[in-house]
Amino acid sequence: MIAALRSGAMGGRLSGLLLVALPVALLIWLVLWPVLQAMVGTVYFPGTGFSIASYTYFFTDAYSLRNLWLTLWVTALTSVLRVVVAMPIALYLRFRTGSIAALVQALALFPMFVPSVLVAYAFIRVLGPNGIVDTVLVALHLPKLMSPYLTPAGPIIGLVWDGLPLTLLLLLSGLGRVSIASVDAARDLGAGSWTLFTRIILPRIQSSIIVTLAFNVLGLFSAFTLPFLLGPASPEMMGPYMQRTFSDNADPLNATTQAVITFAFCAAFGLIYVRAIAKGRKGTA
Amino acid sequence: MAQVRLTGIAKAFGKVTALDAMDLVIDDGELVCLLGPSGSGKSTLLRVIGGFETPSEGTIAIDGVDVTHLPPERRPTAMVFQSHALWSHMTVHGNIAFGLKLRRLPRTEIRERVEKVLDLVGLAGYGARLPSQLSGGQQQRVALARSLVIEPKILLLDEPFASLDQHLRERLRDEVRDIQQRLGITAVFVTHGQDEALAISDRIVVLADGRMQQVGRPGEIYAEPKTAFVAGFIGAMNMLDGTLAEGEVVAGGLRLAAEGAGPARLAIRPEDIALTEPEDGRTVTVRRMIDFGSHVVIDSALADGTHLRIQTDKTIRVEAGERVGIHVEQWTVFRDGEAPSRYRSDTVRPFREVRRYA
Ligand SMILES: Nc1ncnc2c1ncn2[C@@H]1O[C@H](COP(=O)(O)OP(=O)(O)OP(=O)(O)O)[C@@H](O)[C@H]1O
Ligand SMILES: [Mg+2]
Repeated sequence: MIAALRSGAMGGRLSGLLLVALPVALLIWLVLWPVLQAMVGTVYFPGTGFSIASYTYFFTDAYSLRNLWLTLWVTALTSVLRVVVAMPIALYLRFRTGSIAALVQALALFPMFVPSVLVAYAFIRVLGPNGIVDTVLVALHLPKLMSPYLTPAGPIIGLVWDGLPLTLLLLLSGLGRVSIASVDAARDLGAGSWTLFTRIILPRIQSSIIVTLAFNVLGLFSAFTLPFLLGPASPEMMGPYMQRTFSDNADPLNATTQAVITFAFCAAFGLIYVRAIAKGRKGTA
Repeated sequence: MAQVRLTGIAKAFGKVTALDAMDLVIDDGELVCLLGPSGSGKSTLLRVIGGFETPSEGTIAIDGVDVTHLPPERRPTAMVFQSHALWSHMTVHGNIAFGLKLRRLPRTEIRERVEKVLDLVGLAGYGARLPSQLSGGQQQRVALARSLVIEPKILLLDEPFASLDQHLRERLRDEVRDIQQRLGITAVFVTHGQDEALAISDRIVVLADGRMQQVGRPGEIYAEPKTAFVAGFIGAMNMLDGTLAEGEVVAGGLRLAAEGAGPARLAIRPEDIALTEPEDGRTVTVRRMIDFGSHVVIDSALADGTHLRIQTDKTIRVEAGERVGIHVEQWTVFRDGEAPSRYRSDTVRPFREVRRYA
């Protein structure tokens, strides 16, 4: 009996291991191995030995630092903006039902099905120089607005729109844990909308917000298409910068160094994300 | 003074009519139970009173003031929800103090009032705990305290103990009744448990399909159900389909005196059937005997196989397959669109007198 149980447990463990083995192998082969290769490749040079010259260069080069800084603040602002824009929609969808809610949901999730390249060209047609907005303004004899195209605002607007669906879905799953009865109970005792949000809802979706932010940061830090098509040429975000260093400047060493630095930042945010998840687990248990 | 007056209340969700033509006055200090099967509109009616739903038609007045379009926080009501309504990130004290803090009361008064109400619900000393550190019953006590602490005139409870086990539910409902009487507040209690309703209410409102079937004192509803639905829903009842003709109602081979003609439903309470010696047209076959200790229930079959439930004295013993005579002491005949007619027989026939105390 005991032997049978034990072999059952062993079998379970074995099939569990097999289930895990494939993704782990893929992870090692496609992610960890190249990362390791890149890291080693930027500091060890067969024949000449160890050198961190390319890193010293990156962190002393004013242009590289400006690019890193631009990437950091665009990423931060875009992540926060996504949450700020998605939150009211998520609240509306969680606590209202009906045909309007269904329409709002469809509209908010729509960007998920539009490729970034199309988003970029639609953006240029609407907000770019001599785009629809300008045309309308001119027709109304109003002065043209300064176009966000090719300024940092360009990729921010594009990225906020592009990332809205995922942010919305993540926030909605967090709000799903806030029961309607608990919100009704607060309303009953006299809580207004703001009190309701800050005292009852926000404290209970904190970990979801951290997860959402971390998720966004991970994707945004190395975003390429929208910053490349809509952003300024200088300074530029890390995605386009890497690409240009690699192909236009034919400088794989510095491109790889930039990639490793980008990876290090993402890994740091990944850590925050994992810790938030662990904390959230503890919270619900 | 806290009287609730509902006039012509109706509520529709799209095509679903959740409530229809409700007229009801709940008096000051009364505990009224809303009783009905699932989907009958109990919660909807309670939410309409609490201000969480706006009725499609009709008006609600509390103490003569029209509150139909006031939001929940501007009504003198407080609602206790079924479950999952405590704020898990706040302590028990924080949960209860929330409503008082919103009213900007001084700290010392808040502390005093929270402690007093914790004492009232039997949770003195639990203030610092988190809801997750409490049992289900304690959690619902906190929910009750949270509503009581703001001193509402009307307490609304939506199946507050439905998720608890039977014993705890019975204890808590008695406590609620006790607290309600001590504070002298008006209360509306939603339940789908008839025992609960019979045990604690001053009056019961029986709902079915969004309509009021009957309003009355517990004993009255039990003894004199106005519709076949109420008869079948409250307490155990044998409901038999039968036919009225020639001063008799015939159902499943059973014949009882009754006026009228045409199809009818015959309702007999199990405890209104006594056992006698077998006699033509009044005989059943015992299928099973269930001994509840305090009384005995006999599941029997009429001549045509229809089940008949009989409740009788705990000393009586019968065997499966045995044929026994029955004597019906009270019965009610329901006909569509007519007031029910009630009958009673006044002859008492003893059953196996000798075996009674054997
Ligand atoms: N928000 C809503 N949207 C649509 N229909 C609703 C809504 N709330 C209730 N209903 C419908 O109204 C009817 C009455 O519902 P209600 O919740 O009042 O029933 P109940 O008597 O409380 O049932 P239960 O015992 O299951 O809680 C049901 O048919 C229900 O489907
Ligand atoms: Mg309900």
